[in-house]
Amino acid sequence: MHLADFFQWLNNLPFSVALREDDWPFPIIETFHILGLGLSVGVIVWLDLRLIGVTLKRQPVSQVVSQLEPWAIRGFAVMFLSGSLLFLAEPLKCYTAVSFRLKAIMLVLTGLNVWYFHSKVYPRVSEWDDAPVLPWQVKLVGYVSIFLWFGIIIAGRWTAYF
Amino acid sequence: MNFQYLLPFWFFHWCEGTGLGSMIQQSKWSFAVIETIHIMALAVLLGSFLIVDLRLFGLGMKKLTVAEVATQFGVTSWVSFIVMVATGIPMYLSEAVRLSTSSPFFYKMVFLCLALLFHLTVHRRATKSGGAGTGLAKIAASLSLVCWLAVALAGRAIAFL
Repeated sequence: MHLADFFQWLNNLPFSVALREDDWPFPIIETFHILGLGLSVGVIVWLDLRLIGVTLKRQPVSQVVSQLEPWAIRGFAVMFLSGSLLFLAEPLKCYTAVSFRLKAIMLVLTGLNVWYFHSKVYPRVSEWDDAPVLPWQVKLVGYVSIFLWFGIIIAGRWTAYF
Repeated sequence: MNFQYLLPFWFFHWCEGTGLGSMIQQSKWSFAVIETIHIMALAVLLGSFLIVDLRLFGLGMKKLTVAEVATQFGVTSWVSFIVMVATGIPMYLSEAVRLSTSSPFFYKMVFLCLALLFHLTVHRRATKSGGAGTGLAKIAASLSLVCWLAVALAGRAIAFL
């Protein structure tokens, strides 16, 4: 089966049709999606700025991570759940939208970035927790994350418009 | 309720006739670009308010005092607030006539005024006095979150209602 057939099949599911054609589900779900965005990306940006070395400099990195990361994860859960429903409402539109494909790729890349941070960089946090200048790998994770999340917002907005 | 009852009709037409308003109307991309920047600033703004309000509740960032958290996040949240206003005004100018009959837009502005007023008075007092988990701190934090979420919800509703 071709991938397009799978999206077509999703698109024809009664659940998908209802999400798409009823007046209320889409706006309500999208509202949750945007609020979840404020909570997760809003917190993630602060984490990234700390990793880059811009804000909260007097706070050790490990404290910022341990205190902000749980909220970033909660916000992400809201976004992922509401986003899955938004996707189910319009599988075919998402399949054909270049912006949605880019968004999906960038989401996978942020996942890899988080994995890289927690498996390769963060285990040695004690070496640079209070350092005035952080190792380039740490800064890189911060820059990549900010860049990808703003890219995801742009691509997401574009999917809605065109 | 909407702004049609409060302002003369020529005002909305004048807004759309301004150079900025008509430029955005005639351009295919500019509204989308401006709204995208508006939403990015929203993410940063809601995130920093959330962090400060959680701190007031006694959750997260506990190694810093309430006042320190408020100062650290305060400066940057005003920067994103300015970005939101600076992108919000051109969007308004481009569709002032449609928004004159939009009640979500009216309530968004009401909640925005309430949120700002509250932020500069009770909320500021709560973050300056420094206690977390006190009655004042909890009331200030919950009302702040409710007000700003109401602004965001009403804003989202403009597009749908």
